[in-house]
Amino acid sequence: MIATIKAEWRKNHFRPVFLVSSGLIGAITVLVYALTWYQALHPVAGDRRAVSILTLYPDQFVNNVMGAAFPLGAAMAIVVGAIYAGSEFPWGTVKTMFTQGPGRLTVWAGRLVVFTLWMGIMTLVLFVIGAASSVVIVSFQSAAISWPAAVDVAKGIGAIWLIFAVNGTIGLALGVLIRQSAAALGIGLIYVLAVEVIAVRFIDSINSGAYKWVTDLFVNQNATALTQAFTSPVFGPSSQAVVGAEHAVLVLMAYGVGLAVVAAGLLRLRDVT
Amino acid sequence: MQNTTIVETHGLTKRYGSGVLAVDSVDMSVRRGEVYGFLGPNGAGKTTTLRMLVGLIRPTSGTATVAGHTPGSPAGLAKIGSLIESPGFYPYLSGRENLKVIADLASVDQKRVEEVLDIVELRSRAGRKFGTYSTGMKQRLGVAAALLKDPELLILDEPSNGLDPQGMAEMRKLIKDIGQGDRTVLLSSHLLGEIEQICDRVGVISNGHLVQQSTVQELVGEEGVLVRAQPIDQAQELLTRMFGPAAISRQDGTVHIKTSPENTADINRQLVGAGVGVSELRPYEKSLEEVFFQLTGEKQGS
Repeated sequence: MIATIKAEWRKNHFRPVFLVSSGLIGAITVLVYALTWYQALHPVAGDRRAVSILTLYPDQFVNNVMGAAFPLGAAMAIVVGAIYAGSEFPWGTVKTMFTQGPGRLTVWAGRLVVFTLWMGIMTLVLFVIGAASSVVIVSFQSAAISWPAAVDVAKGIGAIWLIFAVNGTIGLALGVLIRQSAAALGIGLIYVLAVEVIAVRFIDSINSGAYKWVTDLFVNQNATALTQAFTSPVFGPSSQAVVGAEHAVLVLMAYGVGLAVVAAGLLRLRDVT
Repeated sequence: MQNTTIVETHGLTKRYGSGVLAVDSVDMSVRRGEVYGFLGPNGAGKTTTLRMLVGLIRPTSGTATVAGHTPGSPAGLAKIGSLIESPGFYPYLSGRENLKVIADLASVDQKRVEEVLDIVELRSRAGRKFGTYSTGMKQRLGVAAALLKDPELLILDEPSNGLDPQGMAEMRKLIKDIGQGDRTVLLSSHLLGEIEQICDRVGVISNGHLVQQSTVQELVGEEGVLVRAQPIDQAQELLTRMFGPAAISRQDGTVHIKTSPENTADINRQLVGAGVGVSELRPYEKSLEEVFFQLTGEKQGS
């Protein structure tokens, strides 16, 4: 297992898709902060969407970062997962990896560990850049810096890491299932950005929401709920979450584990042709 | 040591879901220390057989033992180096980094990477990204990766594929070199010259069946004498009386006699004495190509 983790880390620590996605998520965070800052400094009279500059200060950075991370960051995690798993097939590296000694499941487990680690790195990049952006703004405004409690930051990081990892696992599983990355990431993105949204609206509209329990099991319903579930003022004013945080975490973890097991089964049983 | 087998299959069969029977009841045996040529036309089932031997494909039926283990078992794979079809590497990593990844996975000391780069003479270009490599460099990196574990058994599937004549000659020399000593090499190819020059024994596969397995010498068969003479019917009659009908065959206006070339002078004397005009008389040996086409039912030049 250690050998496969070492191999996976060696081949991925400078992998363009991880570097680009981390850079991109950092750039999006900066852009969101910059645009919101501009909006706050140039309010339009009567605009109900007017932003208070106070929401951009460090004590609110967790809330802002979570807004930037989902659903855009989740979609990016799907893309990264699909490329990570799907590209091994056309490159022929699956057969190279599977003929070196460690069993297929060990190789897969090592891959999951490194992928989850990268999702953690992406999350940290997001939080560090978010924090830095808020410090830049507060400095320009000559206001005092006050940070949220460490436990709130940890909760935020944990939530986003889980959301990235689960969405990334959707990409991974699709990459393994389809055995290439382009179709896998396409299907993953369509699901997250369109299919689930439409399905939730439709199911919730049936019989005055009688089947809402079904949509409460959808992956990004729970991801959304998790980002809204924090009650600390650090996370800003949030709308009512559709499910509780514990429910969201359990469902998301079930998705992550379930998809990883299905992909492991496919890798274990299918011929490598 | 020499007579023990390192690869043994019994009734090895692969039928794909589509119903295609790719490999049909192959009984194959590769001895330790030999260079075994696995010969067959494209689509004969060579690659499918080799994929089953390294555990990439599960057989539909039959059994196989490779390096004393079930195909695909970690203990068996630790003793096998393989290059199956095209080399599979990460295009964004250098050749050296790719080998380091494989060394990590196979729990091989990183120092071995430089050793195998030297063996395949790729060290000076090992820092370049794999995606920029020529076909020849890719194949050599594939052989280097197969050598990383210093394996007992090296399985090379058409390593000369896509190479120019110079590259093919270099690959042949490389395989000859790495096949020295105790290491066993199982080399699949559809290039007869390559097999003839490198291999000790040969297995010929056609339409999924292993149709022959023997040494190259046994495969090519007995030596003989070729006679071109006028009138040819009289010559054939006389030679049949001398050597018996089983030893005589007629091909393209010549008579082939299964006999030792030492009898050439006697044959000449008898034919000339009977008034037959001899225009050509020489020892001959069947080429591997002739045997291959006979065994596989393929037509020469087709």
